[in-house]
Amino acid sequence: MSDAHADQDWRAWFAENGARLRLIARQWTRSEADADDVVQEAFVRFWKHQRHLPGNPNALVVTSIRRAALDLLRRSDRRSVREQAVGADMETVSWFEPEADPRLQSLADSLKLLPPEQREVVVLKVWGDLTFDQIGEQFSISPNTAASRWRYAMEALRKHITVRTHD
Amino acid sequence: MTDPDHDLEQALAALRPRPPGPAVLARLARDLDAPVSAHGPIIAWSAGLAALAAVFVAAFLFLGFRGEVEAPSYQLVRADQSPADVQFYRPVRLDDGSFVRPVRVRWDDTTRWEDPRSNTRLINYRPNDQFALLPLETN
Repeated sequence: MSDAHADQDWRAWFAENGARLRLIARQWTRSEADADDVVQEAFVRFWKHQRHLPGNPNALVVTSIRRAALDLLRRSDRRSVREQAVGADMETVSWFEPEADPRLQSLADSLKLLPPEQREVVVLKVWGDLTFDQIGEQFSISPNTAASRWRYAMEALRKHITVRTHD
Repeated sequence: MTDPDHDLEQALAALRPRPPGPAVLARLARDLDAPVSAHGPIIAWSAGLAALAAVFVAAFLFLGFRGEVEAPSYQLVRADQSPADVQFYRPVRLDDGSFVRPVRVRWDDTTRWEDPRSNTRLINYRPNDQFALLPLETN
């Protein structure tokens, strides 16, 4: 099998993309630590099995992240109540670096307030760099539905940050 | 025609997600440094099946065919994994008030060995079907 990315420095690729991949993993994990584990496992899976494939590796890595997250959830279905409580505490951790611009900070805080199905679309479009077609494939929904969720999310975010900046 | 969401999308893109911790980078470096041969992943994936095939061949020879038939010499020629078919179902509410999204993932693994001398093939087809509940965050 020929390697379509033989010259690719995958460590440099991960260093450049690791943060946004972690944010994507965070959408399907219970805690920051789980997101770290999922990103690592997913990237190693991709590197071992799919890095030779032609085309942009981005969509493959995102799919690998989703599958690794599902695997982790399946393994931890019997997680104890105590561990779930710890996971809930972790929700106070911001997904983003602190921003000096209050509007950006408000936007970062508002993202968590979106309904999960809208937030997933926003994260995959903005940080996953996926098209509505690709997002639709990820969730088995039509591209129009993905686009519709995006529009609702934009509308909701606009309202959130307007209210917050007037608080 | 201008996209009214463009400015908001630009602002979102300006946010900086927190990077993975240093422990992740260290573990990743260790994994990427581990020696892997060109066919390592395929061989590792099918090692169990290859062992099973070897046992089958050995048993076949031991049960009366020794000396009569030359042992097949299978070589791994192909290992395929189909794209995953992922189905996300509507979120459901659990007894504890939390929401989860049922997810079903299906894919097939196919591995093929061939013995060019006897022109025989050994094909293993394995369908996979997994179901999970994906917790949804609510604020």
